[in-house]
Amino acid sequence: MKAKLFSAYVPQPATLVATERLSDFVTLFRFVRDDGRHLAHKPGQFIVLSAYGVGEAPFSISSAPSRDTTEFELAVRKIGTMTTAMHNLRVGDKVGIRGPYGSFFPVQDFVGKDTLFVAGGLGYIPLRSLLHYQLKHRQEFGRIIVLVGCRNPQERIFIDQIEELSRRGDVEIQETVDCPDQDWKGNVGVITTLLPKVAIDPDVTNVAMVGPPVMYRFVLAECVKMGIDPGRIYVSLERKMKCGLGKCGHCQINHLNACVDGPVFRYTDIAALPEAI
Amino acid sequence: MSAYTVYADQLPGLLARWNGKYAVYAPKDIGEGIYDFRPWRQGDEIAWDYDLAYNSLKRFLIPPKEPLISYDLSRCTAEPIFEAPAQLLFGVHPYDLRAITQLDQLMESGAPDNYYLRRREQTMIMALEPLRVAEGSFWGSVGAERVDVGFDLYWTKLGPSSFLVEVGTQRGEELLLDGGDLAQATPGEREAARRAKGRILSKARKGMAFDWREIPKLLGKAWDSPLWEQRSELCLACGSCNMVCPTCYCFDIREEVDDSLQGGVRYRVWDSCMLHSFAAVAGNHNFRRKALERYRHRTYRKGKYIFDRLGELGCVGCGRCVRACTAGIANPLRTFNDLWEAARNEG
Ligand SMILES: Cc1cc2nc3c(=O)[nH]c(=O)nc-3n(C[C@H](O)[C@H](O)[C@H](O)COP(=O)(O)OP(=O)(O)OC[C@H]3O[C@@H](n4cnc5c(N)ncnc54)[C@H](O)[C@@H]3O)c2cc1C
Ligand code: SF4
Ligand code: SF4
Ligand code: FES
Repeated sequence: MKAKLFSAYVPQPATLVATERLSDFVTLFRFVRDDGRHLAHKPGQFIVLSAYGVGEAPFSISSAPSRDTTEFELAVRKIGTMTTAMHNLRVGDKVGIRGPYGSFFPVQDFVGKDTLFVAGGLGYIPLRSLLHYQLKHRQEFGRIIVLVGCRNPQERIFIDQIEELSRRGDVEIQETVDCPDQDWKGNVGVITTLLPKVAIDPDVTNVAMVGPPVMYRFVLAECVKMGIDPGRIYVSLERKMKCGLGKCGHCQINHLNACVDGPVFRYTDIAALPEAI
Repeated sequence: MSAYTVYADQLPGLLARWNGKYAVYAPKDIGEGIYDFRPWRQGDEIAWDYDLAYNSLKRFLIPPKEPLISYDLSRCTAEPIFEAPAQLLFGVHPYDLRAITQLDQLMESGAPDNYYLRRREQTMIMALEPLRVAEGSFWGSVGAERVDVGFDLYWTKLGPSSFLVEVGTQRGEELLLDGGDLAQATPGEREAARRAKGRILSKARKGMAFDWREIPKLLGKAWDSPLWEQRSELCLACGSCNMVCPTCYCFDIREEVDDSLQGGVRYRVWDSCMLHSFAAVAGNHNFRRKALERYRHRTYRKGKYIFDRLGELGCVGCGRCVRACTAGIANPLRTFNDLWEAARNEG
């Protein structure tokens, strides 16, 4: 046992270069690392972000991995102390980042296949990194089907980008809200109501799914009923996290740690765990 | 393994010598039958026959509050803080040593925890064969009675005036011979030490109604047992069972800005999976909202998850949680036995 004088808890500095309001409570933050290096993440991974003096919190990396830019994006919902502090950041301000951490969507498993994205609420944020990766390498992937569900129209995020996607012609995108307002003209109902509307070929379709805890059970049951092999269903499970390193115990799902064994899991690897879904 | 004979009158000299290089901690009677590891001072009596140290020894390796980094607010930079005092724990019982070697494995695997590993490296451990078994301890029946690694020296009291000291590491041997050469233990003394171990073991093997190796399998089928609800109804969610446990190491990370408002420190503090807040996230969602879920998680961690990783239980049978729980429900032995009984009646 020879301990090193290296601390995994020391964040690396990064600078906020742009922000964009996505909804009343969600903002997109674009950062660059101060050392000029790429984040070198894989779709579905997360970082732990520090606002010194306030604390740390985990966030999914929402942008696709890219060699063209050292920028990376987070989309953050203002909900507590850390996230409120982040919403007070101005362009040019510095933060600390640790990571990228965790497992990821194995993109090679998606090559040549159709992908069904199921995004409940903020689930669109982590899925966006895989979606944008696929769009960047469009010819390597089959159909791209995106289902987006929200509680109400006010909580929709990335509205312009989603509209842009639906105009491209090579992405099939469907949206629904649980509780519509007067202006809402789209589908009404929980996200499972969209599934019968997409004619997928279960033999060539992978599923990538992220949403609130209640969503998984219903959507997973539906996917299995549609004939999709559970080994080709990928879910990202978010838990309370502190260390991100598999040590602090907060993120445990039975014997697994969501921070190192996840957040992205193959459904077959967690189907038998009572704490997972 | 080489072994030496040390006489009682040689000991104060040795301890005094070590105390110059290390902060020496040893078991002490602190009154009313309670023992604890305290700093050793010249003239102090060591509680050779202590049954259980009230506090677990993990605090010497993972302090209740441990700084991780310091940061500079204006420049947004951070530096690690590594504190690892040279310390010597004298008189560690085998089950506590087992708990430490378990932490060693867990802290070294995956992303190594250098804070722990540095403290551990700076810590000399002198194990001590117990002479008595505390009420509520059951380490002899959960496989925690033996340790072959993790100690620098292992002491067995042979009689009123002599000890057999087995060497675990080279640094331990150097320390032992620091005050001058010692006599090699004779075959007779080795045999006496072996018998002493046997005597205490026969007293420590108590309470378990079945072979501890069956516990993970038993838990594998007990997820929906009514026992979780029945027991956890009484749980105060105080977290005491985790705090006193030598193998529990979950932590929270917090920070404080200093008076100058120029910088601050981020530190970790012990946390407890029995607390309601442990798995609660923003937006009013809690992944283990019910006491049942938290109580069951603690038991599974002790009885199955650690076993599946390391091949030994996450409970070393010290019995500290048995003492600490005012609701009287934290005893893992009782839980395992009751589940065993229920499974037998069913099957
Ligand atoms: C892998 C992962 C990816 C995430 N990605 C995003 C994202 O892309 N966008 C986004 O808006 N949110 C994301 N979250 C949730 C986000 O981490 C929480 O909203 C955030 O921690 C709340 O912090 P707070 O200080 O504002 O809230 P408070 O309620 O004040 O939180 C206090 C502390 O509790 C912990 N905590 C609270 N909620 C969560 C939570 N949901 N998950 C983990 N720890 C929590 C944090 O450690 C935080 O420091 C993600 C969570 C995980 C685990
Ligand atoms: S669970 Fe209880 S008996 Fe087992 S090691 Fe922890 S404190 Fe000791
Ligand atoms: S089991 Fe006992 S010690 Fe543990 S949290 Fe519940 S009441 Fe407290
Ligand atoms: S966040 Fe600490 S173990 Fe996963």
